[in-house]
Amino acid sequence: MSPSSQSVSTPSEAGSQESVNGGTVGRTLQWDTDPSVLQLLGDSDVGRKIHKLGASKITQVDILPKELVTYCKETQTPLAPHQSEEEEEDEEIPVPKAETETDLQDNEDNQEYTEAHPRELTEEEKQQITHSEDFLVFFDRTIRVMERALAEDSDIFFDYSGRDMEDRDGDTQAGCNLSFNRFFYDEHWSKHRVVTCLDWSPQFSELMVASYNANEDTPHEPDGVVLVWNMKFKKTTPEYIFHCQSSVMSVGFAQFHPNLVVGGTYSGQIVLWDNRSHRRTPVQRTPLSSAAHTHPVYCVNVVGTQNANNLISVSTDGKMCSWSLDMLSQPMESMELVYNKSKPVAVTGMAFPAGDVNNFVVGSEEGTVYAASRHGSKAGIGEMFEGHQGPVTGISCHNAVGPIDFSHLFTTSSFDWTVKLWTTKHNKPLYSFEDNADYVYDVMWSPVHPALFASVDGMGRLDLWNLHNDTEVPTASVTVEGSCALNRVRWATGGREVAVGDSEGRVWIYDVGEQLAAPHPEDWSRFARTLVEIRANQGDSEEEGAMEMAA
Amino acid sequence: MAEVEETLKRIQTHKGVIGTIVVNAEGIPIRTTLDNSTTVQYAGLLHQLTIKARSTVRDIDPQNDLTFLRIRSKKHEIMVAPDKEYLLIVIQNPSE
Repeated sequence: MSPSSQSVSTPSEAGSQESVNGGTVGRTLQWDTDPSVLQLLGDSDVGRKIHKLGASKITQVDILPKELVTYCKETQTPLAPHQSEEEEEDEEIPVPKAETETDLQDNEDNQEYTEAHPRELTEEEKQQITHSEDFLVFFDRTIRVMERALAEDSDIFFDYSGRDMEDRDGDTQAGCNLSFNRFFYDEHWSKHRVVTCLDWSPQFSELMVASYNANEDTPHEPDGVVLVWNMKFKKTTPEYIFHCQSSVMSVGFAQFHPNLVVGGTYSGQIVLWDNRSHRRTPVQRTPLSSAAHTHPVYCVNVVGTQNANNLISVSTDGKMCSWSLDMLSQPMESMELVYNKSKPVAVTGMAFPAGDVNNFVVGSEEGTVYAASRHGSKAGIGEMFEGHQGPVTGISCHNAVGPIDFSHLFTTSSFDWTVKLWTTKHNKPLYSFEDNADYVYDVMWSPVHPALFASVDGMGRLDLWNLHNDTEVPTASVTVEGSCALNRVRWATGGREVAVGDSEGRVWIYDVGEQLAAPHPEDWSRFARTLVEIRANQGDSEEEGAMEMAA
Repeated sequence: MAEVEETLKRIQTHKGVIGTIVVNAEGIPIRTTLDNSTTVQYAGLLHQLTIKARSTVRDIDPQNDLTFLRIRSKKHEIMVAPDKEYLLIVIQNPSE
C-alpha cells in the first residue's frame, strides 16, 4: 500500500517523484533548493524513491470494505440507542477520504477507545477533576445521601427463628418522663467548644442548629462554627457546616426564609448563611460600624409575619437594631435601650411574647429584667423587674397557645441559683424556684404545655418543672453524663423533645414522656387556678402594698 | 481539596465499609480506597450497570431518572449514587 500513501506526501517530494518517473530528464527541481537532495537524485537508481531523512508521519488509511448500509432497527425508536450510535460512527470514517491525516488518526483512536479498556487518568488529571466546581457540588450532595444510607442499619434479612432472642430489658420505663435519645458531637468541629445557642427549624422539625464558640486549642480553625444536625437519620455527622471568623454567640433559623441561618457573633456582626450555596462562609454580613453593633450580640430573633418580618438583634451595650433580611448593610432602625435615660442596659437575653412584635422583655447583666417596646409613644425601656441577685442568663416568655392567654408570664434564670416566674403586670417575681445548687444557665417554656418548662444548670442537670404537680422540686430531672455544665436548653417545636447544649460541645437530645409533655385541654384552666394559688402565696409572704402596674 | 479526602476517609472508617470509589462519566476511577485491579473491575462493571439501570428507569417513564442504586448480595451491599457526570460507589458489609 505504500505507493498510494506517498501520493499524499509532501509536495516537494511529489514533484521530485514526478520528475524521476518521467526519466532522467526532469531534473528541474524548481521548488526544492536543498543541494544534497539534488545530488542524491542524480546518483540514484531510476525508480527508487528517496526519502528525506526526517520524521515523517506514518499515515495509515484504512479503507474498510464496502459496507452494505442496512439499518437493523425498525422505524420505531430503537431499544438500544447506544449501539446505533456506534454504527453511525463506523460509517463516517470511510466517507471523507480527503480528510487530513490527523482527523483520520483521531477517528481511529476513538474506534479503539470505545471498544478497549478505559485508559488510566494521570494523577494531575485526577487532581484537576477533584478540584473542579462540578465535582465539589456533586460530592457534597452525594456524600450526604450516602452517609444517611450507610447509617441506616436495619437488617431486613434478620431471621428470628434461627437464634435465641436475648431477653430484652423490660421496657418498664416506657412512660418514663425524661429519657435519653441521642447526642450530637462532631470530632472535628465540636471538640473543645462550648455550645452557645440552639434552635429548631420551624419548617423541618427534625433539623436543629447549634452554634459553638472558639476552640482555643486550634487557633487556625475558624472561631465561630455553626452546625445543622438532623434528627431523622442515624448518621452522626452534621447536615451542614458553617464557619465564621468570630465566635457565634446566638443562632437561629430565619423563620420565614427556609434556607437562611442567622448568627450573632462576638464581634457584633450579624451573619447570614445560606444552605443553598456550597460555601461554608456567610453569604451576608452586617458592617462593623457604629451604625450596627460593636459589642457581642447575644440575641437574634426574627419577628413578624410572612410579609412583614424583621430581624431584631440586641448587643451587650444596649443597642437594639432591626434589620431586613434582604439588606444587611444597614439597620432599618436602631435604638439604645437605656434605663432612666442614662444607664444603658447590658442585655444578655431577649424574649418576645407569643404573637407580639412590639413589646418584649430583656434580661441584663445586673440582674434586673426590663420590659420594653419597639415602637409607640413609650418606645424603649418601660418597666423594671427586680429580683435576681446575679446576671440573668436566660429569659423565656410563655408561648403555649391555648384557650386562656398566659403571654404575660415569663421566666428567667440567673447566676443566683434560681429560676423566677414573673408576670409583666407586676414588678416583683410571682415565684422563685430554688432547687438548683449552681448557676442556672437557661430556661424555656414548653411550646405546647402551659405549665411545663425546662431549665439547665452548671452541674449538668436538666430539670423539667410542671407547675401543676409541684413548685418546690422539678417533676423530672436528669443529670447529663460527663460532668459538664449545660449552657442552653431548647424545646423542639412539637414539645416532645428537649435539646441541651453543654460546655464540651455536645448537644444532647432527650425525649419527654407522653404524660408529661402532651397537654390536655383542661390544663389551661388548671394552670389559671395554679397561678391564683401562687399569687395568693406570694401575696401572703409580701406586704399588702404590692402595686399592680398599670398595663 | 483536603475536605474531599477527609470525607472519603471518614466514610471509609464507617462501620462495615469495605471500599469507596469515585468514578467519572467515562467509567474511569478518580478516587479509590481499594487496590487497582479491584477498583478497575468495580468501576467498569458498575458503570455499565448504572447506565443500564438508568436507561431502564427512563424507558419505563421518560420523565423519571435514576437517583440511587443499591445491590444487596450475600456478602456485601454495594451502594451507587449516580449523577450526570460522576458516580460514587460504596461497598459495605452490613452485618458488621
